[in-house]
Amino acid sequence: MSRLNVVCGLFGAAFGFLFAAAGFNQYDVIHRMLLLQDFAPFLVMGSAMATALPILWLLERRRWRTPLGGELDLRRWPVERKHLWGGLVFGTGWAITGACPGTASTTLASGSLLGIVLIVGMVAGIALRDIVAERRPLRSHQPLPEPTRP
Amino acid sequence: MLDWMPVPLPWYLVGPLMGLTVAGLYAITNKHLGVSGAYVQAVDFARGRPIERWRLWLLGGTFLGAAAVALVAGSPQAGWGYGALGEYLSFPALVATLFVGSVLIGFGARWAGACTSGHGLTGCSTRSRGSFVAVVTFMVTAVAVTFLLHAVTGGAL
Repeated sequence: MSRLNVVCGLFGAAFGFLFAAAGFNQYDVIHRMLLLQDFAPFLVMGSAMATALPILWLLERRRWRTPLGGELDLRRWPVERKHLWGGLVFGTGWAITGACPGTASTTLASGSLLGIVLIVGMVAGIALRDIVAERRPLRSHQPLPEPTRP
Repeated sequence: MLDWMPVPLPWYLVGPLMGLTVAGLYAITNKHLGVSGAYVQAVDFARGRPIERWRLWLLGGTFLGAAAVALVAGSPQAGWGYGALGEYLSFPALVATLFVGSVLIGFGARWAGACTSGHGLTGCSTRSRGSFVAVVTFMVTAVAVTFLLHAVTGGAL
């Protein structure tokens, strides 16, 4: 039980509490947001970013040393095709279920037993993507057949 | 079930606190808050690969935090309910739909590298360009698919 794990568990608890307090773990809340009938979830996400972004910007500028993980290193990813394709598939699943990885565990935790289906499905989807990703390069990087000797 | 807290709490309370959670985890542990990564650990574990334990602790935490909300505020979805979708579909169709939908979620999140928390909340807060693109793509897609479902079901969804 390292200190890092316990701290992450505590932040996870705060995060899950806030997700559930925002109603993000309920299909109807997310569905009404995606129907553009209820803007509260957008405001939650927007104000969360508006809070975190300047704090992280300032800490990065000051070369903040984190107590448990060395100098602050904000992760960023350059734009790639995968962000478009993955976003398309993810957005479709999100619209169908009203759930996302962050909310699935909180759906189950609120006593909604169908959360189990969400979690099992997500893990299956991740495994499927890993299998597809590992097959692809194999196909395109097949070693050429040995030249037949005369 | 107690009724101590109105859910949903107002956005101007939940949103900034959520932002502090994201920034606080980075400031203390240098970790990028994202939840789909925790489910990736399950797949890696099953395939005998090394895992990042802190992600499992984070996920376990989200479960406990949400359970606390259900205890103090009640839970409209407790049992086998699933809101409007549960009323629209028969139970077997609901389970099948949720399964197919979540396979798409897992597949897409793994493909894009993160989900609504890792790219959405945290990635946008670190000003990651790839995250911006992923977020705009899945937001637009989800709204379009939802409007399509709304039309196809004659407004039931």
